[in-house]
Formats: sequence, C-alpha cells, structure tokens
Amino acid sequence: MLLVGAGLAACGSEAEDSGSAKTLTVDTSFVVKSLDPGVVYEPTGNVVVHALYSTLVTFEGSDISKPVGELAESYTASDDATTFTFKLRSNAVFSDGSPVTSTDVVFSLNRLKNLKGSAAAIVKNLSFAAPDEHTVVVTSSVADPNVPAMLTMPPAGILNSKVAKEHGAVDGEDAATADKLSSYLNTNAAGSGPYVIESFDAASRIVLTANPKYWGTKPTFGRVVFQNMDIQNQKLTLSKVPTAEIALDLSGSSLDGLPKELQQTSSPNTYYQLRLDADPAVSEVTSNAKWVGAMRAAMDYQGIAALFGPGGEPAAGVVPTAYAGALPASEAQKQDLDTAKKLLAESGVGDQTVKLLYPALTFGGVDLGTIAAKVQSDAAQAGIKIELDPAPIASFLDQRKGGKVAMSFSPQLLDYPVAASMVADLMPGGNTAQAAGWTEDRADPATVAAGKKVLSTLDPEDQAKALQDWQRLMREHSPYITLAYNSGVLVASPDLTDATYTAAGWTVDVADIGSR
Amino acid sequence: MTGAQADADAGRPPAGTPAAAGPAPVVRRHRRTLARFIGRKVLITLGLLLGVTVVTFLLVQLVPGDPTTTNLSETAQKDPTIVAAFRAKWGLDKPLIVQYFTYLGNLVHGDLGVSQSTGDSVLSDLGKYVPATLELAIPAMLLSLVISVAVGLWAAVRKDRATDHGIRAGALLGLSTPSFWLAIVVLYVFFYLLGIAPNGGRLSAKYAPPTHITGLYTVDALLTGRPVVFWDAVWHLALPVLVLTCLTVSALIRFVRSAMLEVLDQDYIKAATAKGLPRRVVLRRHVLRAGLVQVVTVSGLAFASLLSGTVLIEQIYSWPGVGQYAYRAAVNLDLPAIMGVGLFVALVYTLVNLLVDVLYGVIDPRIRLS
Repeated sequence: MLLVGAGLAACGSEAEDSGSAKTLTVDTSFVVKSLDPGVVYEPTGNVVVHALYSTLVTFEGSDISKPVGELAESYTASDDATTFTFKLRSNAVFSDGSPVTSTDVVFSLNRLKNLKGSAAAIVKNLSFAAPDEHTVVVTSSVADPNVPAMLTMPPAGILNSKVAKEHGAVDGEDAATADKLSSYLNTNAAGSGPYVIESFDAASRIVLTANPKYWGTKPTFGRVVFQNMDIQNQKLTLSKVPTAEIALDLSGSSLDGLPKELQQTSSPNTYYQLRLDADPAVSEVTSNAKWVGAMRAAMDYQGIAALFGPGGEPAAGVVPTAYAGALPASEAQKQDLDTAKKLLAESGVGDQTVKLLYPALTFGGVDLGTIAAKVQSDAAQAGIKIELDPAPIASFLDQRKGGKVAMSFSPQLLDYPVAASMVADLMPGGNTAQAAGWTEDRADPATVAAGKKVLSTLDPEDQAKALQDWQRLMREHSPYITLAYNSGVLVASPDLTDATYTAAGWTVDVADIGSR
Repeated sequence: MTGAQADADAGRPPAGTPAAAGPAPVVRRHRRTLARFIGRKVLITLGLLLGVTVVTFLLVQLVPGDPTTTNLSETAQKDPTIVAAFRAKWGLDKPLIVQYFTYLGNLVHGDLGVSQSTGDSVLSDLGKYVPATLELAIPAMLLSLVISVAVGLWAAVRKDRATDHGIRAGALLGLSTPSFWLAIVVLYVFFYLLGIAPNGGRLSAKYAPPTHITGLYTVDALLTGRPVVFWDAVWHLALPVLVLTCLTVSALIRFVRSAMLEVLDQDYIKAATAKGLPRRVVLRRHVLRAGLVQVVTVSGLAFASLLSGTVLIEQIYSWPGVGQYAYRAAVNLDLPAIMGVGLFVALVYTLVNLLVDVLYGVIDPRIRLS
C-alpha cells in the first residue's frame, strides 16, 4: 500500500487539482479559530488573515521600524498625536473587483471595535470617520504616536462592507451580539489582499489561492497550503530538505541537527518574565523589596538564555531586542550571588518557601518546566527556596487573573510591534500591575515618572530613549524580573527567497515569498 | 425433540397452521421480546445520555479555569467590557442551572449548540471530524481482528511452545509501547528514512479533498471518480492505521489466545478430534466459533475506544479526527463541544454494546434461543 501510494505520489498529476499554480506549503501547529479579521488573534489566524486582508498601513518585510502605506497611499499625524488622516489609493480593489473606499475602512474598523473580541482591545481608544470616499480620519482619545502601528495588525484588515453586510455583518454598538458574519468569512473572500480562501479546516489545513483581482504585485505562489503539523513532524519534514516549504514553529532545541542548506531567519520578540506580587496581603515574601532584589541578583540570565538555544538572549530590560527601545546587549543582567545572599539576609525572610506558578507547556520549542527548574536552581544557590507549581494553561491564566499569586512565570509577546504598548500595562494603574498588586503608593516615584515620560513622548526616537531610561529603573524597582528573550524562527527550504520571519505580528508574509 | 418443538425453537409456525391466522404465538412472543429488548435499550440509552450531560456539565464547572481566559487574548481579558460581551454571547452570565436546562432544551430539538472554539455548530463539527476518525478506526479494527484471531488461535494451538512464547512476548511488548513513541518511530522510519510514506494529513497538499458525500475521503474519491485521490487517501491512511492496528492487535491477542485455550479444553472438541475430524475443520467449525463469543466483547470495546478518539496518533499524523476536536475543546474549556463529544462517545459505546449483543446471537445460537 505504501509503495503503491509512494509511486502514485511521485507520478500523480498535480495538475488535477492545483492547475499550473506553484504551491507553497506552510507547516505549522495550528492555533486558529476563525479567519474573520474582527475576531482573529491567534498566531496561525494572523498569518492567514494578513494574506487575505489588506490593511491601511503595513510593515515591509522584517522592518518594523515604521509603518508604510498599503491601502493608504499616504498618512499624516496631528502634532498632538490624536488625529491621523489616511489617503486611500484609487486603484485598490476587493476580490470581487469593487473599489476599496473609506466607507469600507470605517465599517471594518468600527466592527472590529464593537465586536468586542480579543483584538478589540487594540482599538478601544480609537474612533473612525470618512470625510470623503478616499479619506479616513482616525481619532485617538489619548495622545499616541503609535496608532498607525496598531492599524498594521491583521485584525485591522479591511472588509468589503457591501458583501459583509449581505452576510450578516454589523458595525454598530450591538455588533457583539448582532453580527453573524464570522462563519461566512471562514470559507469566502471579502478582502483585498493577495490571496483568497480555497478551503478552511481548523484542524487540518487551510488553502489559499492567488486573488486574480489583486491590485498590488502578484505573489509568486499561486497556491499556499497551510498544514497542521506538530513540531516533531515539522522537523522531520524540513530535514528532508523539501522544495517550496516553510516551517513556523521550530525554535530552541528543535533547530538542532537541521540540514545546513535550510534557511533560517529569526527575531527575538518574546520575553520571559517572573512576576512577583507586591501586595503584602498576598505574600509577605514577594512584597519584600530586598527579597525581590535577592531573586534578581540570583538569576543566571546567561544560563537561562542558553536553554533557548541560538535564539535565546539574556535580558537587559523588559523590551525584547526585536523592538525599538530595547537596551543594548552590553547591559544584559548578570548573576551576582554575593549580592543575592546579602539582600536575602537583609530581607529578614529567612528560609520561607515561595511557590512559582507557571503554565505546564512547551513554548517556542522549550519546555517551560525546564526554565522554572533553572530559576529554582539559581535561587537555591543564594539560599532562596522556591517550590515549583506547574498548572494547565487554563488554570494558570485563571489563577493569575485572580491577582492572588505570589510568584508566576510566563512567556510574553507584544500586542503590536511597539514597545511603548507595554508601559501602560506594566506600570501602576495598568492591568498587569494591578494583578501583581503594584500600586502607585508601592512604586518608586522616579520609575513611575519615567513610565509617564515614555507615554507622553511623541517623537519615536525620543520615545525609544525614554523607554531605555524607564527599563533601567524597572530593573531595580519593579515586581518584574525579565529573564531572557527568545526568537521566533522561520525555517525555509533552500529554493525560496524572501521567506523572512517578522516580529510584526503575522510571522511571515507569504505573498512576499519567491522562488529561485 | 419433536418436529413442533423444533419449529417453535426456530421461530417457524408449526406444520398445518393456517397462514391466514397470522404469526404463530411463539413468533409473536419472540417479537414482543425483541420489542421489549429494543425498548429497554432505547430507555437505557436515553438515561445514559442524560447522565452524561449532567456529569460532563458538572465536571466542566469543576475544572479550574474560565472560558474567558481560554478564549480571549490576555489583553482582552483585562478589559471588563470585552469579558462581559463574551460571557453574554455564550450565556455564561446566566446561573448554572439555567445554562444547563437551556442546553438540555436545545438538545431535545437536536441542537448541540455552537462551539466557542470553531464558531460552527457542534453537530456540523462532529459531522466533519467523526468521518475522519471512522476512516482510521474501521480498517484498523478489521485488520486487528483478522490478525489477532489468526495469531491468537495459532498461539493457543501451539501452547507453551516457542511460537506461543514469542507471540505472547510480542503482545506484551506491543502493550508496553507508548502509542506516541510508536507513532513517531514509524513516521521516522517510513517517512524520513525510507521515504515511502507521507508525513501526515489526509491528502497530499496538491490535491483538493473530494466532494463531501460521506466524509470518508477514500469512499468520496471513488464516488466522485477520482482514483488518484483515492490512492493518495489510502497512502495517507497507511501509517496511522498501521500504528493503531499494532496497538489493538497487542491488546486483543491475549484475549483471543485465552478464549481459544478454554474452548480447546472442552470435551466436545476432544470428541471431535477423536472422531477423526481434520484439525482444520475442528478449529474452524468448533473452536473458532465458540471462542469468538468472548473476543467479540473485547473487540467491541476496542472499536469504541478507536472511535472515541486516539488523540496522540491523530496529533502526530495531523489527522483531523474527533480526538483532536475533543482535545481542543478541553483545552479551550469549550463547553458545547465538550458536551457534544461526551454525548458522541456515550452513543458510540451504547451502540457498540448493542452490536455486541446482536453478534452474540449470530455467533452462538444458544444465546439467541435463551
């Protein structure tokens, strides 16, 4: 049976189904529920939706320093960074040939906001208007120079509003309950991106075909097949050095032993962070600043980064090095056991044990239990006692949301590729700080002021500098200990060109990939 | 036994009974018994399904975690309006008892709800994933039965000889082998080293799935006249079926062997052999048929187990079956999908048990008569 099948596979007529279109195969472990840009937020969904729906602005290749126009041929920002005006291209059309207008843009973005799905959090401070057919005005209720970066994200993909409405889309405030469009978008095209959907199966494979009416540069591959595949299988598949194939989930130790002919691109975009509760009512130990300092000094940052393989880097600050505002590698934190022991003695905590809660899963090719065990072992060298408390992901998230966890650890990614987006969340008043019991009266005033300076700085370069100053203070005066950064990696067969990993939020732009 | 008794036992009307008088009392009695049997089974099944809904619903509530944490991004979880909208959309803002009876009310009308993970109705999800599992389970079960009966019988006949020891050791080894390990090794050997098997999935990337008729790609490909796709689907079935067959055969062989040994020890077998009947005839007509009664029960459970999902095998071979669906539902605390899978599994076990009861009668006439 195998030999017959193998023979047929070798000789079988590809033309039967895919015509003459060249096929690109994307191997990834699926995390996708829907291809509706209004609700998508999972990694696989983001890659696919980015290929289906054009956005007002985008990032080119792996360069995430500045958004460039996509559906918008240009945009301007007001001096106070609250009003952004986008001028639409006149040649952009949807997959049915109808032109993309400002009405479609406003409808799509209002729907995203009012659906109140996961991605709605990105645009919650924004409102949208269409003064004429080719102009869109986005207003932010808070000064924020990074609004264009938010609008690059796949959830901000623009729908054909006429088609969407015909199939139950609603953009009003009742959209969360009244909208019925999502299922339709899993099997039908309503965007203006380089691809349209051929088929969608969230457990097996997603097939895209080139959009015949695409208004931009035609993609090299006429057909893209996303195959749901676990990491071991991805490694075996790429180890055979296939053609026109990429894998999205190989990182850490799973990259060991891959053939040298394969191409690898990566970007350190994930940070691994310990969160210690600053509320004495939750823990007398983790709320003790000296004890936190002892933990910080006890960690072997270089050793932890080594667990991630070549893509790992010891953390210098909170911001991963993929993003503007990261601290230079020369400032990476180092283990200092003498200081750790001294601070532990000064803390008066003695040999009390603290539980370390973490999700029992493998992320970025590394078992998080390995990282937690390394933290436990480093702490023990300074005399700090930690008990590991692994939990299923649902239980982990639930416990941490409750805000009663003394110490926890998890990988973190940015919602959109601007490091300033982390500041409001991590500083007192932000949601993460609140869950960590870190209030303004428990915080160092200089650190609070540095955080406010980041948020009020409107020039991107000045904001990056302010971010660095803020991180240097956060290293000393916050309930967070950032341990290491890890890279997302894209592994591609040797025949491909421009198969580049991006930290932009959609992993790879499949329409950019060419072949030699 | 008189001729009338024989006729009665066989369910035939006694000779000379006018046909116009309708079925004989014995036949009517048999029909009533059969109707009572079926009625009882249906009632038990309904009670069982109700019990499954109660237990599954309660278990899901007991699991630490909240659907909002598993279905919303971490940022969105921190926004009370988004969390409130999610809870309202899925009815999670209502008291538990209301949630349960709403579900039950919908269930009576054949509505299993909408999956929070896929956004589609659970019924349509099951309609998509169950055929994929069936396509694995049926050939794996058929192969397992043929192999385990033949090998188990051979081991019984060669009791305490080298062959028997070898077969028992092999079965023990198979039972002790973790399924995920075997699946990975088989994939490594046949895909990576030998290059004669695909790396998973139901079809090669170059083929579009056949038009959905039964959901079984092999059958649908034949029905729609696509022989190349049929062979490609068969090719993709080979490795997961091989692994499932190895695992199932290991479990069945020991039962077959002990069942056959028990029958071989019966006086009527010794008598048949003493009468000079050929060995092959004794084994096929007397030993095999009697021994199969016990094997049927175990085989039924093994088949139900295959149907109710083989999560790891499906995961490694990227097979979009009910096991993967159940796993994703559990990870996302997707209550409608978990309830749907629970009901499906309960139905599978009930139907398989019913089938086993019927097969008893087919294999052993004594059970039919009693």
